[in-house]
Amino acid sequence: MNSMIFKLVAESTLQTIEMVFWSTVFSLIMGLPLGVLLHVTDKEDQGGIIPKPVLNEILSRIVNILRSFPFLILMIVLMPVARFILGTTIGTRASVVSLSIAAAPFVARVIETSLKEVDPGVIQAAKAMGSTNWQIIVKVMLPEALPSLVSGVTLTIINLIGYSAMAGTIGGGGLGDLAIRYGYQRFRSDVMLAAVIVIIVLVEVVQFVGNKLSSRLLAKR
Amino acid sequence: MQIRLENLKRDYGSLHAVDGVSLNIPSNTVYGIIGRSGAGKSTLVRLVSMLERPDEGEVWYGDKRVDNLSKKELIEERRKIGMIFQNFNLFSSRTAAENIAYPMEICRKPKDWIKTRTEELLALVGLEGRGNAAVSTLSGGQKQRIAIARALACEPSILFCDEATSALDPQTTRSILALIKEIQKKMNLTVVMITHQMEVVRDACDRVAVLENGKVVEEGLVSDIFASPKSAVTKDFLSNLTNVKDSIVKLSDKTGHYTLRFSSSTTSEPIISRVTKETGALFNIVAAGVQYIEDKKYGVMVLDIGPDGETEKKAVEMLKRSGVTVERTVLEEEA
Ligand SMILES: Nc1ncnc2c1ncn2[C@@H]1O[C@H](COP(=O)(O)OP(=O)(O)O)[C@@H](O)[C@H]1O
Ligand SMILES: [Mg+2]
Repeated sequence: MNSMIFKLVAESTLQTIEMVFWSTVFSLIMGLPLGVLLHVTDKEDQGGIIPKPVLNEILSRIVNILRSFPFLILMIVLMPVARFILGTTIGTRASVVSLSIAAAPFVARVIETSLKEVDPGVIQAAKAMGSTNWQIIVKVMLPEALPSLVSGVTLTIINLIGYSAMAGTIGGGGLGDLAIRYGYQRFRSDVMLAAVIVIIVLVEVVQFVGNKLSSRLLAKR
Repeated sequence: MQIRLENLKRDYGSLHAVDGVSLNIPSNTVYGIIGRSGAGKSTLVRLVSMLERPDEGEVWYGDKRVDNLSKKELIEERRKIGMIFQNFNLFSSRTAAENIAYPMEICRKPKDWIKTRTEELLALVGLEGRGNAAVSTLSGGQKQRIAIARALACEPSILFCDEATSALDPQTTRSILALIKEIQKKMNLTVVMITHQMEVVRDACDRVAVLENGKVVEEGLVSDIFASPKSAVTKDFLSNLTNVKDSIVKLSDKTGHYTLRFSSSTTSEPIISRVTKETGALFNIVAAGVQYIEDKKYGVMVLDIGPDGETEKKAVEMLKRSGVTVERTVLEEEA
């Protein structure tokens, strides 16, 4: 592999990492509160501590609709949003906008599922001690669910690596972009192969670190 | 704190889980509420502890009505009670000490105050030095001790126990009950003890109410109920009690220095009388009963031997020769 390809792959890898990092951060900022809201407004027998059936139904519907969209279509639909925020629809920054928004509903469901696993008896005990709802969420629910939340975030990052490659194919930068421009349009199968291998390695590393972290947290309990 | 329940009702759909319960729970007592599984005990305790609102009826703590409080008052009032559960319900994300600290944290007590008080509470429940333990590394009895310490952190006047010993073996149950009784006296608590085990009522409660299908079918002093049970449920509970594997009745609070075990081969002879006659020993019986050890039945006596060391020695020797197992022991203060 000559140094030109190496440089291209290295640059694209950095772009992908940057893109995935920021879209993870932003999708968590949007998805975490949404996931918590989905859980606490659920029915009492589902572990909801502030049951709000109507709000819960509406949120749940919106999340489901967004999640059932094919990702590529969602990206295209979200292009105007990126244009509105950044003034452009191409490049890594534009991808971060649509990736974050597209991943947020996924994150919300992942968080909600983790919170549903928390022992209801523990929540009842916290309530009996006179905790406010905010204290139950922040001091009990989230810490109790932490190992599971870490697994959820790991899954989100892995998904975002895949999504970011797709975003690349519509001009978003990163490894997907590289694979399309060189591997596909210029028939450079070596570049294509390099991009694919790097993506696989990224996924493996994230999975490994995530598993380790989650089991370390569990072992301490 | 005295607790008064007036005609409490709670329905789940068409099911009357709690169906018109009126009770007077005097302050400074251990009050038992016994009933079979599904009788409505947990529902009742949730109503009384302000975790759930009754459909009808009133709950009074002393002169304060607490079943119709606003959200803010409710949180305020809940901080003045303690509660422990069958499954302990400790926070797995926190160490033993951090569990105890939780109720103090949510009341925004100062940090060093919390630290001192946590150490105090660990000592109170007999777990000094175990503060840093992860919850999962503790035994069931230790978990319940931590839960008790957590419940007592903000010095409540009422402690609710919902099947607090049901997940524990008989010996641990006894030690937890002893601890609750000790704490009740020390802190002048009103303890409401929910259970489906008559042993718990016998060993720990002053008064008891028997619950069946959401209704109180019998109520009174434990000694009265044991002497003359009226309802069929109570009789049933009591009849099960006679099959209890390990029933030693403690007759005195004094500690005995010897445990004698009579196996079936020795029980046909008047050994104690003979020893008294021949050695002049005086026996002071502290506790007695029947014990099953690995499915073998033993008569057990815990006693002191007097009047002096010389006689004591002779008597022990003679007992041993007669086939009685003699152990020098102290009858545990069960704490
Ligand atoms: N949240 C609930 N929703 C519906 N039914 C309930 C609920 N809680 C309890 N019940 C029912 O009420 C009855 C009494 O339950 P419970 O108070 O838990 O009894 P106990 O603690 O004496 O075993 C049971 O038949 C139970 O199925
Ligand atoms: Mg129950």
